[in-house]
Amino acid sequence: MVARPMTGQPKPGTVRAIGPRRPAPRSVADPAAGTRALVPDSATLLEMFHLMKLTRALEDRIERKLYRQGKIVGGVYVGRGQEAISVGAAMHVRRTGDDGHDDIVSPSHRDMAIFLLQGIAPRLILAQYMGRRAGLTRGRDGNMHMGDLKHRLVAFISHLGDSIPVAAGCALTFKMRATDQISFCFFGEGASSRGDWHEGVNLAAVMKLPVVFICNNNQYAYSTPTAQQFAVKRLSERAGGYGIPGSTHDGNDVLEVYDAVGRAVDNARHGGGPTLLEFETFRMTGHSAHDDAGYVPKRLFEEWSRKDPILRLERFLAEQGLVDPAAVAEIERRIESELDDAVTWAERQPYPEPSECLEGVYAD
Amino acid sequence: MRPSPAVKRDRAKRGGMVDARGDDLSYLAPGPAAPLKNPGLDRARLLEMHRFLRLTRMLEEKLSTLYRQGQIVGGLYSSLGLEAISVGTAFALRPDDLLAPMIRNIGSLLVRGVSPRDLFLQFLARYDAPTHGKDGTLHFGNVEAKSLIGPISHLGTLIPVMAGAALAARMRGEDRVALTYIGDGGSSTGDVHEGLNQAAVLKLPLILVVENNGYAYSTPTRRQFAVESLASRGPAYGCAGESVDGTDILSVYEATRRAVERGRRGEGPTVLECRAFRMRGHAEHDDMRYVPQALLESWKARDPIDRFEAFLFDEGLLSRKDAGATREAIAADLDGAATEAMASPAPPPGEALRGVYYEPGYERPWWPAR
Repeated sequence: MVARPMTGQPKPGTVRAIGPRRPAPRSVADPAAGTRALVPDSATLLEMFHLMKLTRALEDRIERKLYRQGKIVGGVYVGRGQEAISVGAAMHVRRTGDDGHDDIVSPSHRDMAIFLLQGIAPRLILAQYMGRRAGLTRGRDGNMHMGDLKHRLVAFISHLGDSIPVAAGCALTFKMRATDQISFCFFGEGASSRGDWHEGVNLAAVMKLPVVFICNNNQYAYSTPTAQQFAVKRLSERAGGYGIPGSTHDGNDVLEVYDAVGRAVDNARHGGGPTLLEFETFRMTGHSAHDDAGYVPKRLFEEWSRKDPILRLERFLAEQGLVDPAAVAEIERRIESELDDAVTWAERQPYPEPSECLEGVYAD
Repeated sequence: MRPSPAVKRDRAKRGGMVDARGDDLSYLAPGPAAPLKNPGLDRARLLEMHRFLRLTRMLEEKLSTLYRQGQIVGGLYSSLGLEAISVGTAFALRPDDLLAPMIRNIGSLLVRGVSPRDLFLQFLARYDAPTHGKDGTLHFGNVEAKSLIGPISHLGTLIPVMAGAALAARMRGEDRVALTYIGDGGSSTGDVHEGLNQAAVLKLPLILVVENNGYAYSTPTRRQFAVESLASRGPAYGCAGESVDGTDILSVYEATRRAVERGRRGEGPTVLECRAFRMRGHAEHDDMRYVPQALLESWKARDPIDRFEAFLFDEGLLSRKDAGATREAIAADLDGAATEAMASPAPPPGEALRGVYYEPGYERPWWPAR
């Protein structure tokens, strides 16, 4: 796959539907694909850029500094190279602070940006990774195993695929309550081979539940390449087995992600049922921080680093006159400074006391 | 739940195809029937097929009688209306192809050479039964002697098992295929997904026969899946997918044969949907009051045995007199087999713990050593 330059005209004002913007995405079942597109306005573009940068920097800190310093409790799984998917998709999550109105998100373990977007501060995330009491699990679980229903985040479930029926269940709740909330469900291509995935997607299809299934196909499930994971050309072809729309998109093009997810969200919110979206990307790291990914051919890393989603957005923003090198440097400086403070704060937080271990295991 | 007046009106309008939940089930009524076509089987094979269909039907009728007499231990799941699926698919296999029937596939066992006597013994839970009376229904198998793998009650679990069996055959350099069954309901279980995907990735010679019989217990298919045909699950995994009229034994046979050939050529698995209708309850205890009467009536004209017999009569391959003689011969055989089975004792209590773990000398004289 060759990264094509981003195109599209950022418009002032709010997100809106306009006419054809670029060649039609490889759509499997959505006849409307390519006939209308969602283009983010300048402010949204800059917000996405900042979030992608912040995500990358935060994960670099965790994986390449704190983990190596022995300060992280447990494993580290990052989404380097996949930031466009989390950001482009989660920009569509409705966040009003109103329980009966807000959407809900089930992130995968490579969707750090979603936590940031849902309002979790970097310092709390760092405390979580360092096993401190101030973390989302109060120091009793590590890394991505954090959620907070106050922030409309379903905690990531280690057993890949299990979050699919859970996300479908959230969507069923919305349907039963007759609200127009929707459920966002993120997972990787490896998880799609799990039985729970099948059961959840089928249920959502039969009941026309308001859920958007978002697959980050990052080419490797731990060390298993996609050719050994599924026998279809595109994972979105699975959608045809459930009677729902499905399509495959460039996951390193945040504008394409934004557009595809936006349309699926619109469909789900208006009673059209679930959509299966596949975003092709690449895991620019090992499965986890301990994994040197020696099984991945070096040329793939080189090839995909040229399609880096952040650099692509940066080039696009520069072409649009929205950023220049000085502005980018300033964004980076602010992020680094924010993260310095966040790390300092997190390191000052206490570990949990042994006596806290049993708190909150059951409803207190 | 009492149907609302609106639902009642609707029901009248649709000729009674709306159930108590208000679901319009007219989509489950049979479509137009295509005439049966001989795919090139000779008369002897066709008559053999006919005999197996009739034997399946009559054996199950007798089991039903025994059930009502309280003689059957455990449940009884009928394949009434679905006999052509079991017989037609098993008929397209070689005797050494791996076959794993499910609870409505007594016909597959008969084709594979399991005797009615062994089946009676098993349902009556007698000591001489394949499981020595320690399990009921069709829960038995024999891989070594019959290439038969026993059903697993947990629907869907057989699919990864049969994918594994197909993989084993290929690793040994054998050209055997593996065939198993799932219902429209079982197709929603996670194990089907995992097994089928694995088989597709490894291009294993697996044939998954999906018996779409309208209902999973009391759940009609539109509450089960959102596709028109479960054959579309095939391409979703990169497998072949076919859908045939499950009341037309010749179509079932021919589609299975094509799937077997694909499997032997190394072209991977096939999902073969056979559409028919479950003409009895989920099991013998179920009066299936949830199925609209009009729907059942609409399927009566599609009886797979009547259709095949009519074809044989029309082609001049079978006379009505010979059909009657076949029935009489089968009835006599079944009476004899049932009487023999009844003479076998119940297992002694000490038998209960035998063979739970490996016990040298115990497993070997297992069915069908006699």
